[in-house]
Amino acid sequence: MLTEIQEGKVFDPVVKHITQENINLYAEASGDFNPIHIDESFAAKTPIGGTIAHGMLSLAYVSEMMTSAFGQNWLSEGKLRAKFKEPARPGDTLTINGKITCLEQRDDVSYANCSFECLNQKGEMIVTGETTVKFSSDSK
Amino acid sequence: MPDRATSYEELTPGYKFPSTTFELSASFVSKYLKAVDSEGDGFVPPLAITAYAIAATTKSVPLPPDTIAIHASQELEFFKTVPIGDTIECHIGVLQKISRGKMSMLILELEVFDKGKEKVQSGKATIALPA
Repeated sequence: MLTEIQEGKVFDPVVKHITQENINLYAEASGDFNPIHIDESFAAKTPIGGTIAHGMLSLAYVSEMMTSAFGQNWLSEGKLRAKFKEPARPGDTLTINGKITCLEQRDDVSYANCSFECLNQKGEMIVTGETTVKFSSDSK
Repeated sequence: MPDRATSYEELTPGYKFPSTTFELSASFVSKYLKAVDSEGDGFVPPLAITAYAIAATTKSVPLPPDTIAIHASQELEFFKTVPIGDTIECHIGVLQKISRGKMSMLILELEVFDKGKEKVQSGKATIALPA
């Protein structure tokens, strides 16, 4: 958890290596067996050229970073907007970075507005977006 | 799970998918946490709920062979945590369907409730599909 909530505060990054095994496990857990994720021969024939991770798998890593930073406040009062820019592929190492961009007060409630990005090992943007977390002013 | 497939043509703004209910069992959460390489914190990860809800709905829509559906964007708002073992109810409808050349952007609206009918999360998913 963050000890100080202030503008510009950078979160601890989350780094994850994507494997086809992770993707297959994610398909089983979520029930999303879209062949673009799990069928290598099918995926190879598509314009994408191979299997890709579920977008929600990359977002799970973003949520992990936000949970580390804000704990229960994220899990029960968080908001997220994400755009999937490029697919994450087996063999990729994803790094998720984020920071607090601004703090605001609305109706006596404090909010931390944050930005995040998920990059692969080549520096390509995989996912980008914003989050908002409600928090108690006591934690500032 | 919905008890019948939804045709792609039915997916017009205002269409509501049959609601689904699901028990967030310890084995489901454990499998999810293993897949995302994460440790649990005693609650069901909110994105596990979202992932289940989207997958349960989209797999009821048969796509033409050799076509792919791509998740383009996602919005989510969480309202409360859900303990492991609870049952959730998922409601998904079509908010917009936008044709762009050979592709359609399907914008789905999602709401998930717990067994006490309290809202757990809501959101929007944009899925790119062949037109």
